[in-house]
Formats: sequence, C-alpha cells, structure tokens
Amino acid sequence: MENKQIIGLFVHNHPGVLLRVTSLISRRGFNIDSLTVSPAGLDGYSRMTIRINGNDDQVEQFINQMMKIVDVKKAEIMPENSSVASELILIKISTDGHDNNEILDVTSAYHASLVNLGEHSMTFRASGTPEAIDTLVSELEHYGILEMARTGIAALETGDKCLK
Amino acid sequence: MKLNGSEIIAECLLEQGVDTVFGYPGGAVLNIYDALYKYSDKITHILSSHEQGAAHAADGYARTTGKCGVVIATSGPGATNLVTGIATAYMDSVPLIAITGNVSNDLLARDSFQEVDICGITMPITKHNFIVKNVADLANVIRKAFKIAMSGRKGPVLIDIPKDVTGAVYDFEPLKPESIKNPLLSEKADFNKVAEIIAQSKRPMIYMGGGVISSDSEKELLELAEKLDCPVATSIMGLGGFPASHRLFMGTIGMHGGYETGKATDNCDLIITVGARFSDRVAGDREKFGKNAKIIQLDIDKAEINKNVKIDASLIGDLKDTLRTLTETIEKANHSEWTAQVSEWGKNGEVKETPPSDDYAHPYHVIEAVRALTKDSDIIVTDVGQHQMWVSQKYRFEQPRTWCTSGGLGTMGYGLGAAIGSAVAHPDRRVVLFTGDGSFHMNLNELATVRSYNLPITVIVLNNTVLGMVRQWQKLFYGRRFSQTDPKRQTDFAKLAESFGIKGLRIHNDNDAESVLAEAFSSTEPVVIDCRISPDENVLPMIPPGKTVDEMITEME
Repeated sequence: MENKQIIGLFVHNHPGVLLRVTSLISRRGFNIDSLTVSPAGLDGYSRMTIRINGNDDQVEQFINQMMKIVDVKKAEIMPENSSVASELILIKISTDGHDNNEILDVTSAYHASLVNLGEHSMTFRASGTPEAIDTLVSELEHYGILEMARTGIAALETGDKCLK
Repeated sequence: MKLNGSEIIAECLLEQGVDTVFGYPGGAVLNIYDALYKYSDKITHILSSHEQGAAHAADGYARTTGKCGVVIATSGPGATNLVTGIATAYMDSVPLIAITGNVSNDLLARDSFQEVDICGITMPITKHNFIVKNVADLANVIRKAFKIAMSGRKGPVLIDIPKDVTGAVYDFEPLKPESIKNPLLSEKADFNKVAEIIAQSKRPMIYMGGGVISSDSEKELLELAEKLDCPVATSIMGLGGFPASHRLFMGTIGMHGGYETGKATDNCDLIITVGARFSDRVAGDREKFGKNAKIIQLDIDKAEINKNVKIDASLIGDLKDTLRTLTETIEKANHSEWTAQVSEWGKNGEVKETPPSDDYAHPYHVIEAVRALTKDSDIIVTDVGQHQMWVSQKYRFEQPRTWCTSGGLGTMGYGLGAAIGSAVAHPDRRVVLFTGDGSFHMNLNELATVRSYNLPITVIVLNNTVLGMVRQWQKLFYGRRFSQTDPKRQTDFAKLAESFGIKGLRIHNDNDAESVLAEAFSSTEPVVIDCRISPDENVLPMIPPGKTVDEMITEME
C-alpha cells in the first residue's frame, strides 16, 4: 500500500554526505517530498529527516540502501503513532481586497503569529504537524499566497528511545 | 618515522599485504611514482597502455586471487579513464582500491589543468570514496578504504589525493590491519524457519551466484547441495563455484541458460538463492520467476532481499557461516525422482549448430578443444557478447576464481586487461582470453603490456566480423535491420599481434582448430589466434528479455 513514512537518518557529518544520500535517492528512484539536515546534538554527526512516499517494500528497500552508505550510521522509520513530527512555515498573504481581521481569524485558529505587516501583505509564522501546515496553506490559498517557505519536517520518536 | 605522503601510501599498501599494483603515471602522481621507484623491490608496478586497462587488470587480479586489487592513475583524464573499470568492479562486487592523484589543494576548485572532481563522478559506482586534503589523515583513510573494500559485500573504493599531500611530510606509525570478520546476522529462529520450508520441499533447486566465490564458500555450498540432494544452477558470476562435473550441476540460469535450468526454475517448488541477486538477465520476468516455488535467499547484503523478486524467507550475514549453519540445521534428503526429471530435461536441450564449413570454425568446437588442453586451475577470461555466452555455456569450470567476466556491467573491452591481471597474479598458470572482434577492438592496445611483461596469455578472437550479439537482437526483434553491426573491418588479428611482437595464428575451420591450439599451448609465450566463425552463429537457447522459459527460443534462421 502506498503511504508516507518519515525516516530518520543519523549520519557522519562528512563533506558530501548530503550528496551521497540525495544521489542514492535519485538513482534508485525513490519518491520523497521532504528532506531536512541539522546538527544531531553530538559532535561530528548530523540528523536527516526524510519523508518518503512508497509501499512497505519500498520503504524497507530505502532503509536497507541507506544503510549501505558508509557515512550513514543509522536509518529508521519514525512510526506515526509513536513520533512527533513538526515543521515551520513562513507565509506571505495578500491583503488586497480582504479584511485583515478575517485573515487573522483564520491564522489564529492555527496559532500562526503575524511577524510582519506590509502595505499589501501580511507575513505569518506557524509551526505544527506537516498535515496541519498543509491545511493552513489550503485555507489561506483563497486570500492569495504571495510566497512561502517551509522548513521541512523534523521528527523524533517519543519515549526514551534515541536514534544514534 | 617521518615520511612523505607518497611513502606513507607505499607503507600502507605493504601493511595491507599488497605487493602488486597496476597503473599509469602522470603529473599529479609524480610523487607517488617516485615512492614506487624507491619501493620497487617490495611493490611490483604493472604499467598498462591505458588507465582503463590497468583498472580491469586490478579487477582480474582481485577476482582470481581473492585479494584487493590496486590501481593508480593521475588526475583528470587518468582518473576518468578508470571509471568504466571501477563501475565494472562495482557491479560484480570486486574489491578494488583506486588511488588517483589530484591537483594540489591550492589549485582545487579552480578548473586547474587536469583537475576533475573524481569523487563526485565515482560516487554512484564505489562503495565509498575519499578525498584526502591533509596528510595527517592519509594513513587512516587508506586503512579504512581497504577495510570497506574487503568487508561485507565487497567492492571498489576510490582515494583521491591532491599532489601537495603526496609530498607533505608526516609522522607514520605502522599498524597491523585488523582482521575482517563479517557477522552472521540471522538467528536460530530464522534458520529454523528456513529449514522448515526446506523440509516441506519435494523439488528444490539452488540458484547460486558470485557471492559464493567472493566469500570462498564453494565447499559449504557443495555440502548443502549434497545433503539436500538438490540440483544447482549458477548465474554467470557463479561459474566455478560448483564443479561442472558434479551430478547435481545443471549449468547457467537465465537468458542464455540451458533448457534444463529453465524447466527446473519453472517446475521446482523451492529456490534456494545463495549469493545471487535476481538480475534481469536471470529473472527476466520478475513476477513469474519461480512461479511455482517458494524463494529463500542467503546473502550478505540485506538490500538484496525483496529488491527484484519477492522472497519468502532470508538469511543475512557471512555466507560461509550461513551455509554451514543451514546445512547443520536441515535433515538429509533424497530427491532422486526430481533430480532424474531434471537430467531428463537436460537431454532435450541440445542446440542445433550451423552446418559444417571450410570457411568457419564452430565456437562450441573451439571452446571444447581449448577445454581439452587446459587444466582445471587455468584461468578463463572473456570480453562481452556472444563469445562470452558460448564460453559460459560450454566451458566446464571445476574451480572457483578461474573465471573472469564482466557479468553485471557487461563491459566490452574488459577482457585483455583482466587477463593481464590474472596472469600477473598467477605466473604458473595459463590464462586464456576468449574475445570477439568487437570487444577486442576496444582495448587491444594492452597487447603492448602483454608483450612488455611476456605474460602467458592465449588470446582467442572468435572473429565473426560483425557485432554478433547486437546483430542477433536485430535479427530477432528489429526485422533484420542490421544497423551499424557490420563494421567491415579489415583487421588481420594475427598480423596485428606480430606488430606488437606477439605470435599470431589463425584457425580457419573446425579441422585445424586442434592443431593450432596445440601449437599455441606448446609454449608459455603469449599468442593471439584469429579464429574465423560464421556471422550467422547465434547464442541459443535464449529467453527473450522480460519472458520465461515458456517462450524460450531454441532455433533461429
């Protein structure tokens, strides 16, 4: 069954490691829609969080292939029911022809904060699950999205388990 | 002790037990070659005609010895000339260390003369690669590279070293290499599960591949096959991993495999896959491969499980230990009815040869005549194409590491380099290269190397004057439109050999094959034999791409 899975990678922070991972994704034809890299909290290591679209076999193959990269120390699924996943968005909305208060009503429902008010635009910052951010974006589409930037997903497993 | 980077390279090679390297000098590796001059009593350097030849030679050396091959090339074109050789080794899981020079650190990233990002270029065709920008890291990078190349599923590793690093002086401390032991990842329960599936099987077969050879597990495989009384098919890469004279040996499996392996694959109820990867040349139709069978896979590489074909149960880890434990776990079985059925199929599969002719020899006849003259330990190398398939079908391999062929990448031009590497590794054995006129034209420049080192290589050019394999596909699938497969070359391979200082002979037809081969085999001098075969000769049987044995072609015009 086709679904979206979040995979966490614990990698050596060597030059080229991002290229090794992305080049493998591309040549093996994996379908991903988000990839983030950040320090892992341990000197010399980084953490990558990747969301992949695929069936269980493809996800298993993805993890097995990733584990063949020498710089990848660990690759694991972040299970949906025992992980927290979050991302941040900055989004600029056109205010032309709209009531600012109406926009603020929508955004406050998503705990989006107004970070800048332009002559013809409002810029919001929001964070939440990728699904919540998707919903916020679709609600704001109606007002006219001038531009937006999303950080991609960060995910950790809940409980005491750590990926390292 | 204080050494410069190049001396550190030489010391690290010695540490790893390397006494032979292949390569070609150039500007960015001048320091390294200066060190090789100094270490020439400990490290033999074989100079090729072209870096590609050196890479294939290091590959042939590795395949026939089980050791890690080493190739050295300069920056830029020297490095890019290695690419096909590295990719060939990668596809066939051959351990190889490629050392390339690069421009000095202060010239990197400036499009300097002969600068190329070889790490970027070789990322998809190496297990791992390194650029060493600091001499302090050099020794440990080389040690790590050997460990990566030789552990788990083996493969090539490239080390790119800027010129200033090869000249910089640093403290070198010798270090004994740690022994490599691949773990057995499967547990008792996994073995029990597999043993249970095996116990239920009435018609099992083994499909083995190159993993058996690279893990030196041929003895363990033989024990499993005999205890289970189970016929064995091999991929092209697995040839030599199971003795062809054994009653359980069926031959190769796949596109040009025999009728009996095809029938067995379709009619068995269990396929035990050992160190093989279900390539499209074996499992043409991934969904229908072994359609009546459960499939068990034993491999060191977990990523091979469920990659091409859906597996029912798998055992992961060192193949030798896995096979040994599995054989201990299973009960002794007798499948005489099934093995008799398989042998019966074997009788049906004879392929009709082209009629006798004064103008042409028959490839099978020549291959069998060669086999009559060779010892089991002699090494057979091929290029890629029809001749490669004929040899894989007909030559009876008895021992592992006596066979070099580019199975995965299918590299035309691989053979002569690989033959050189094999001959350098085994000066006491005869090396026979079967090649085609197409493949041989690609890298015949290495005849110069054969002469320089006086290597006992017998080159047999199965010369049909056309690009036979492609032409065969044009016959079958492209309405006999022979686009660019009849190059009308006038090359006289015997005369060509003479110009390199190598003896040239000719086989005109089946009648003179034995005497010419006997002449060639009477000395250890290198020789090239131009052997004329018909352009209409085909490789049969053939399962068309994406199909099963049901659609096997056994006859063509």
